[in-house]
Amino acid sequence: MKKLAVRNIRLCTKDCLCLYVCPTGATDTENSVIDPRKCIGCGVCAEACPSGAISLVPLEMPPQQPKTEEIKVLLRAFARRRSEEEAAARAIGAGTEKEGLRKLMAAAAMSTRLVTEDVLREAGFMLPQCPEVREILEKLADEPPAADFPEETLWRLLGKLPMAGGSGEKKEIRYRCSLCGFVFPLPEGEEPECPVCGAKGDKLTPVAGE
Amino acid sequence: MPVKYVCQVCGYVYDGGKEAPFDSLPESWKCPLCGAPKGEFRPAAAAPAAAEAAVPAPLEGELGPFTAGQMAALCSSLGRGCEKQYKAEEAALFRELSAWFAAAEPPAEDASVEALADALRADVADYPSLRAAADAAGDRGAARICVWGEKVTRMLSSLLDRYAREGEAMLAGQEIWVCTTCGFVWIGEAPPELCPVCKVPAWKFEKAEGGVKA
Repeated sequence: MKKLAVRNIRLCTKDCLCLYVCPTGATDTENSVIDPRKCIGCGVCAEACPSGAISLVPLEMPPQQPKTEEIKVLLRAFARRRSEEEAAARAIGAGTEKEGLRKLMAAAAMSTRLVTEDVLREAGFMLPQCPEVREILEKLADEPPAADFPEETLWRLLGKLPMAGGSGEKKEIRYRCSLCGFVFPLPEGEEPECPVCGAKGDKLTPVAGE
Repeated sequence: MPVKYVCQVCGYVYDGGKEAPFDSLPESWKCPLCGAPKGEFRPAAAAPAAAEAAVPAPLEGELGPFTAGQMAALCSSLGRGCEKQYKAEEAALFRELSAWFAAAEPPAEDASVEALADALRADVADYPSLRAAADAAGDRGAARICVWGEKVTRMLSSLLDRYAREGEAMLAGQEIWVCTTCGFVWIGEAPPELCPVCKVPAWKFEKAEGGVKA
């Protein structure tokens, strides 16, 4: 499974071992964000980091856990109740002059929303790029619920969200740089450029195996 | 007579053997860890609250289309999922959709603090049934959300009850903080060091702002 290293800036204590061990210089950035174009997902930075600030995020997620029909029905009904409580809290908050009650209702709306989110995730919508979410988004695209519905937002989302375990996955090719010897993977069809020395074209040759 | 009492929100154990007997505590006494009222404590020896509903009441529902309110929560949840995968742009797009659905939701009619408190009490009462159904289906995730969900709902429910008794005085000079991970609600000048329910650090708490009424 292909992965990318990411740094948690709240944990990073600038020990800078990642700079020393990274073979491609992906961690060497001014804004502390590991460069996804250079990161090859080898994980040496995460292993070397003394403050545990770097982790590897998978680029493709495994499919969701299956849900029984009964659990889906129960959780969706429960989510509906909870979302109605959120709406009630908002209405009460909007309709009162009392400062304390307004704050309490704002807190109630936030809290019930978080609980509803949890319930809906477990109702079969855990992963944004799962087929169940895709189906809902595509249905919205077919039948927008109102004239002022932000269709462009929806279309951008549909264009950007890859499918988990989807069929659109590209095969990877590994290249060896004949100038510096570095080996790196690249999705099929993309123009290779050595992430270490910048060599292009016939300086890079595909290599076999993992 | 039981000596130890356990907080049903955060699990804090009050030891009446070392301190004053639990029954002698005033009704205004609160859990020192999470602020839950005395009424949310149960004797340590007794079976956990989930077992109180021996035969779970059947819950009802159907797989109908989502309401606007559900869609708002679904989209904000998916936005959070994108954030965790460092997909900032997708997260923002989901949040936009969520905001649209929240605005499109018809305003709640006849909403009152009393009715909301009743609804929350009903939720607390239904969590054991939901938990039992999740356990029976072998659904680990669904069972897990019942644990936090019940606790934070108990807390919110008890705060609404307290507001009904004490009114605005309850919140004088205090802020309300919500744990952005589990939804636990805390009243105080500053958020707790750790969330008593889900144990995330203080910076994960958000202050509830009532907004200024025009």
